[in-house]
Amino acid sequence: MGMLVATDVTKTYRNGVRANDGVSIDVPAGEVFGLLGPNGAGKTTLVSQILGLSKPDSGTITIDGVDVVARPDVARRWCSYQPQAAAPVEGLSAREAVELVGRIRGGEAAQVRRRGAELLDRLELGEVADRPVPMSGGMARLTGFCMAAVVPGRVVVLDEPTNDVDPLRRRTLWSLIRSLADGGAAVLLVTHNVIEAERCVDRLAIVAGGRVLAHGAPAPLKAQLGAPLRLEVTLEPDVPAPRLPEGVVAAGCAGRRLVAHVQSSGVDAAVAWARQAQQGGVVAEFALMPASLEDVYASWVTTEGAA
Amino acid sequence: MTPDRTRMTVDGVRTWWLLLRWQVLRTRRLLVTLILVQVALGIGMIYGFGFLVPHVTPEVAVFFATGAPTLGMLIIGLTVVPQETAMARVNGRFSYVAALPVPRLAPMCADVSYWLLVQLPGWVATLLLAVVHFHLHLRFDALVVPAVVLVSLSAAAVGYGVAVMFPPGATQQVSSFMSIALLLFSPINFPLDRLPSWLQDVHRALPVTYMADLIRGGLTGRYDVNPALAFAVVTAYCALGLVVAGRAARRRS
Repeated sequence: MGMLVATDVTKTYRNGVRANDGVSIDVPAGEVFGLLGPNGAGKTTLVSQILGLSKPDSGTITIDGVDVVARPDVARRWCSYQPQAAAPVEGLSAREAVELVGRIRGGEAAQVRRRGAELLDRLELGEVADRPVPMSGGMARLTGFCMAAVVPGRVVVLDEPTNDVDPLRRRTLWSLIRSLADGGAAVLLVTHNVIEAERCVDRLAIVAGGRVLAHGAPAPLKAQLGAPLRLEVTLEPDVPAPRLPEGVVAAGCAGRRLVAHVQSSGVDAAVAWARQAQQGGVVAEFALMPASLEDVYASWVTTEGAA
Repeated sequence: MTPDRTRMTVDGVRTWWLLLRWQVLRTRRLLVTLILVQVALGIGMIYGFGFLVPHVTPEVAVFFATGAPTLGMLIIGLTVVPQETAMARVNGRFSYVAALPVPRLAPMCADVSYWLLVQLPGWVATLLLAVVHFHLHLRFDALVVPAVVLVSLSAAAVGYGVAVMFPPGATQQVSSFMSIALLLFSPINFPLDRLPSWLQDVHRALPVTYMADLIRGGLTGRYDVNPALAFAVVTAYCALGLVVAGRAARRRS
């Protein structure tokens, strides 16, 4: 059984909005579990119930076998958390914020100081580490991550940890998230950043409309897509979207950018079509690549939206 | 005390201390200004009431001097704590701290302690000025310490309960109303018998009169009422307030 197990969690707000509708997830210790979904999918509501801040209408949530719906105090002790909004660091230096939360979470002073310094150093937060200055969005978010990671709980909940963070630090952040799981925590990662999450998550659930649409490891989910490759095409300006060949299915079109899924049998036809369209002045450039988690996500969420 | 209870108490005190530290660090740039404003308010109260009441008798002077700290404690609890809590709910600090392993009323206790510390220099200035200006004789009774704790916690429990139960916008309105009621219609800076009889009856059932009596007695050594009765009433209200505030803080949506 997983460290964090939510079973059939249902939550309807007073205004009638059903934020979670029979949601079940299971996150073992040592795993990074991604919770992917569009805005309003019910991700933050689920997080708030895991943390004991709100209560499900029905269903159960356990951490290490303990029913945390009945014992929200245990949830608070065993979960460390980075909120979607910036952590409340105003007036504090990053080091003060990290050490205060580490101590409140029960860490020993010396251990908290050492671990806090290590995290701040890894994320290159030197410029705000010891000065209580207003932080940029990215700095505040990284400090919020350090506050969650300084004394990690058995479950670490990270809600959009990479928002506003620059690419280099984001890379370090993903490696630190991975190391939290390697250290034995069950990491629940809520994110929109599907492409980067793919490198970090062991398993994931795609949620929309309050329900889990699909769950599993990235590879089997991608296999379910039925099209192992993705064709990305940039059209020349003011050219209408061309008709695609057999075995190539359009997955989305935004401005001049067209994305299509390509079945194994359709690879040759797809490349030939794209080359011809490029020579004919319809396509500016194209690329064929393996399907990504983003394709899986888009296919599920688009299907849900269309249903 | 069982080992579990002892551990919970130690953890509670440790958390309160850390949250208090958080509050002090967070506001350190404003701290000196806040303290100076409190000192100025205290001085203003002694001088200002002198303008309102031209012939200040020794009895009136006692009410002015001892009413200032009482009013300060009640304003902290009924106005400052709910407004700070409402602000924390808006900027996310409230739910962030609520997700940490802290006793539910620890943030409230840290807020009260912080504002008591901020007000302390103001009280000292007020009392010193009253001694010089009104030739007042103060005699401190050790009971003033539990009285300050009880009065502050009772008021804060009510204010915190309001801030947790009402939306932040409504909290501002309710806390402003409570401060006006305290300033104008509560026997803190004047004796109970100045009020109309129906309001006197209301105040006999409310704790404010007893709170003012306890602080006045604790600062002058002379209690106008039975201190045991006053302590019993204020303790009962404090316990009730803490139970209600605790329930409100534990409530999950």
